[in-house]
Amino acid sequence: MNVEWTFIERGITAAVIVGTMAPLIGTILAVRRSSVVSESLSHVTLTGISAGVLLSQLAGTEINPLYTGFAFSLIGSLVIEKLRQLYPDFQDLAAPIILSAGLGLSALIMSMSKSGYGEWYDYLFGNIVSVTRGDLQFIGFTAGIVILLFFLFFKEIKAVSFDKEYAQVSGIPLSLVNFLFSLLTALVIAMSMKVVGILLVGALVSLPVASALQLSKSFKQLLVWSVVFGEAAVITGVFFSYHFNIATGGMIVVMMSVMLAVVVVWSEKWRFSD
Amino acid sequence: MLAVFLQYSFLRYALIIGLLVGFLAPVLGVFIVMRRQALITDALSHITLTGIAFHLLMAQSLTVLQPVNPVYMGMGFSVTGSLLLERLRHVYASYKELAVPIILSSGIGFGVVFLSLADEFGSDLFRYLFGSIIAVTSQDALVVSLIAVIVILFIIFFYKELFFLSFDEEQAKINGIPTKTINFLFTVIAALVIASSIRIVGILLVSSLMILPVAASVRLSKSFKQMFVYAFLFGELSVAVGLLTAFYFDVAPGGMIALTALLILGIVIGLKKETH
Repeated sequence: MNVEWTFIERGITAAVIVGTMAPLIGTILAVRRSSVVSESLSHVTLTGISAGVLLSQLAGTEINPLYTGFAFSLIGSLVIEKLRQLYPDFQDLAAPIILSAGLGLSALIMSMSKSGYGEWYDYLFGNIVSVTRGDLQFIGFTAGIVILLFFLFFKEIKAVSFDKEYAQVSGIPLSLVNFLFSLLTALVIAMSMKVVGILLVGALVSLPVASALQLSKSFKQLLVWSVVFGEAAVITGVFFSYHFNIATGGMIVVMMSVMLAVVVVWSEKWRFSD
Repeated sequence: MLAVFLQYSFLRYALIIGLLVGFLAPVLGVFIVMRRQALITDALSHITLTGIAFHLLMAQSLTVLQPVNPVYMGMGFSVTGSLLLERLRHVYASYKELAVPIILSSGIGFGVVFLSLADEFGSDLFRYLFGSIIAVTSQDALVVSLIAVIVILFIIFFYKELFFLSFDEEQAKINGIPTKTINFLFTVIAALVIASSIRIVGILLVSSLMILPVAASVRLSKSFKQMFVYAFLFGELSVAVGLLTAFYFDVAPGGMIALTALLILGIVIGLKKETH
């Protein structure tokens, strides 16, 4: 690809890639009943990003904050697992602890660094116009890894997600698959960030899946519907945000909420008349 | 350092509000954690952002709204959001935990759209997100004090019901406790506390003040009462240390408060491990 893309082309490509990846990982998170994990990890990613920005300022070298964000989010996912073991009776405490820790640190780093608010809002709420060539390379590369790992270990991931005991008995290395999954989640969050922003990554991971759950009867259907809803929301969201000059991440999420509302109302009605 | 703090009136008011929410948030947090609903606080606080954004947007065309504090609209949204949350739990009977992320992320999504329509991506938004001790007025302190009185009265009057509901909702229902009403009231109270904490702690960090002190106290206490005492102590300590250091180093108070609470939690987890 020698042709230099315009910023709009770069942004839309990034959005379309993310629109498939996030719902794909989201289905497994939903089935594992840990949709909330993505929410906390995205906040830890924010810490990594603010740390990256601060480091670049202090060291004077250019570090793409996406990489530090990814590293933090991976560490965060490991700490969550550890915390779940520390609070066996209150497993749901792990996610909020990590979430607050991540945000607290980011708030501190953001106030210390000398950048203006504008740059932080890009990371918080997304700004697809700001997708650089390096970012697009990162997104494409990580998307490749995610697809590869996802289909290579599809059977293992599915087995572990649906029936832990059975998977363990049949010799699937549980901790390895769990780690793999943390890795996938961290990757998807880091790559979605430029498009929808940290505060909205959770939406991309959970809302399309929530709509798909209402319609699907099998796991395969769930995967397909989630991706369809994800892409539909991303494309319409980008379109409307461009035409009405509204923050892209917000518009994508609003499209997802609207779709979810329609699906929920429709399937409730249909269920009653059936 | 403290002398400077007491010299300026806005810092004094910030300290008053801080100490009040440092008490209210962890005490409500104990009930929330016992009911395994720790994430509800995040959902409610994010919906509050939607309300604040909506107010900022409306205030541009409706001048009547301009002098009103946007936090009231935030409270309204957060109560509505909690009702929606209950509804979603019924829709997703087998995926109950999806309700929180749905509300949380839709809340921010709409919030961002309102903000961008209102063109309010300025330093004000930053203040709402991460808290601030600048320009706290006596009226703010008065409103929060009033809310504190309401919350304390509520807890005293309904202590038995709340206690029952936190441990065994089924049993409580059988014993004739109006679970629906109490649950609703509790959510309204939580929304009030979240809205009052926002001034100092910020929307994104309210949950840390509600949950982290409780997480630390869970590891230390042997009874429900002890949990309150520890949660209260840790909460106040976090706010006091957080506010003072935030002022001293000129950083966002919400971040400093959350980090202090986190440090306490870390120390508690570390100490407890050694005694094992």
